[in-house]
Amino acid sequence: MVAAAVVLAFGPLVLPSFYVRVGQLMLYSAGLGVAWAILGGFAGYASFGHAAFIGVGAFAAGLAESYFPNLPTPLLLPLGLVVGGTCCAILSAVIAYPILRLRGTFFAIAMLGVSHVCAEVTNNVDFFQGSLGLNFPPIAPASMDPAIFFYELYLVAGLAVLLIAWKIRYSRFGAGLLSIREDEDTARMLGVPTERYKRLAFVVSAVLTGLLGVIYGHSLGYITTESVYRDDTNLSLIVYSLLGGMGTLYGPVIGAFSLVFVTQVILGRLLDFHLFATGLMLVLLILLAPGGVLGLLKRRAA
Amino acid sequence: MNLIAQTLADGLVLGGIYALAAVGFSLIFGVLHVINLSHGILVLMGAYLALILSTALRIDPLLTMPLVMIGLFCVGYVYQRFLIQRAVDRASVNSMLLTFGVALMLQNAMIWLFSPDMKSITPSYAFASFKLGPVNFDAVRVSALAASLVLLSLLALFLKFSPLGRVIRATAQQTMAAQLCGVNVRHVYALTFAVSAAFAGAAGIVIGIILPFSPADEGNWTLNAFVVVVLGGVGSPAGALIGGLLLGIVNTLTAQYVGPAFPNVTMFLLLVLLLLVRPHGLLGNAFAASR
Repeated sequence: MVAAAVVLAFGPLVLPSFYVRVGQLMLYSAGLGVAWAILGGFAGYASFGHAAFIGVGAFAAGLAESYFPNLPTPLLLPLGLVVGGTCCAILSAVIAYPILRLRGTFFAIAMLGVSHVCAEVTNNVDFFQGSLGLNFPPIAPASMDPAIFFYELYLVAGLAVLLIAWKIRYSRFGAGLLSIREDEDTARMLGVPTERYKRLAFVVSAVLTGLLGVIYGHSLGYITTESVYRDDTNLSLIVYSLLGGMGTLYGPVIGAFSLVFVTQVILGRLLDFHLFATGLMLVLLILLAPGGVLGLLKRRAA
Repeated sequence: MNLIAQTLADGLVLGGIYALAAVGFSLIFGVLHVINLSHGILVLMGAYLALILSTALRIDPLLTMPLVMIGLFCVGYVYQRFLIQRAVDRASVNSMLLTFGVALMLQNAMIWLFSPDMKSITPSYAFASFKLGPVNFDAVRVSALAASLVLLSLLALFLKFSPLGRVIRATAQQTMAAQLCGVNVRHVYALTFAVSAAFAGAAGIVIGIILPFSPADEGNWTLNAFVVVVLGGVGSPAGALIGGLLLGIVNTLTAQYVGPAFPNVTMFLLLVLLLLVRPHGLLGNAFAASR
């Protein structure tokens, strides 16, 4: 445990910069995967459009920060997080009412629609500067390599998301979410406030995703619509859980780490095969290991 | 006034094609309860196949339709029987992701085979047009719309009156009861998928004649099909027709009067609105499976 913590925290100081970048991406993806799983894994509402919240968070933060150019550097990120998080909370709370009436695949595709609509609005309304692009002020302290600064930031954020998910998982609220996943109608009949729980899980998941999106925007430094509203992110979030184990707490972490490693380090040189390899992996996963890595381990143990 | 009439006419033509492109998706969803995210790929397969056949045989692209439909019928049967069937029994999101994985692989394969560039099929009458009152019609678009309507009617008749159509409808309504009456459900599933794939291929030809296409388009055609099905109701050619026409008209009206970048936004708002006021689709019971 301690050794792993030391490696995670201080590893980037000695690693070459390419691997620091991969490490950032792993932690960012794991954070997103866990945030997605609060709704998609626990409650069984698999969203196909969480990139919407990454984009809304990042653009809201970037715009807010550009209105206060004289703010001292240490206050920029908190401002961005507050504004980005609030915007995601409002957006998700509003769309929760119509969208959560849908179940299963309908919910998934409706979320894909939400993500596409947010992307198009960001791209076509001049106020958001989506097609032009939006610059983020540098926030890393001068004494520190920005790559390492963002690595540590992602590490803290990822752990925070995991802690929140863990708290939820072992609370009354979490048990309620699991009962919704198993059988929503029965849960409702037995007195679980399913509507309220679903909405709350949706908002929490959206806000956490949005906060990670704010950090992501800063780490890129310059974002356009295409760089944050990405359909491959929408897909990856499901794949992390599928790969690690759907509905488990650590599944998305395992899934994100292994998928990012495979796509960035092993497939990084084979760009022509990228789609094909991702698709093939998805097909094989569903046919051979529908419970993910954790499911396989559990089956072996049993 | 002329502008409105022209926009509505264009919307109707586009809508007829949306309807044809969506009817297979609707049938698969109604009978198998699978959201086929590789539907757009089947549509594009039809388009590329027609492009190859019509240049190789030097015939009108619409005449390649029987060959393309037979080809995709076989592809659909095999695809369902050996791949999708394995995920049908599991949670619904799994079969959706399976088809998505296949879509990614085939999109990549199409990029290798046909390059990522835009292609189009140009029939001999590509630039002919005629006027009906103040409204201008392209010969291409009218023949595309006519082909769509004929095919949709044929499918409706097939489902209504043929023995196989009756079995397909029975399986959609009560899978278990159909099985008890001696229906081989897996075979019916595969045949349904095959028929749907054949109609997707036919839609691909019609689309190829009036619009340029590239491998990256497949996602759009899948999403359109989904919206059409939600609007119109699941599992029937009539529902697909209503949903398709509605979508086509809304798209062209938005592009004309709001802005060319916004059809998707209005499409989605319309979708949400309809889910709120009429969650079963305009016809039929679209959401029996969704709640």
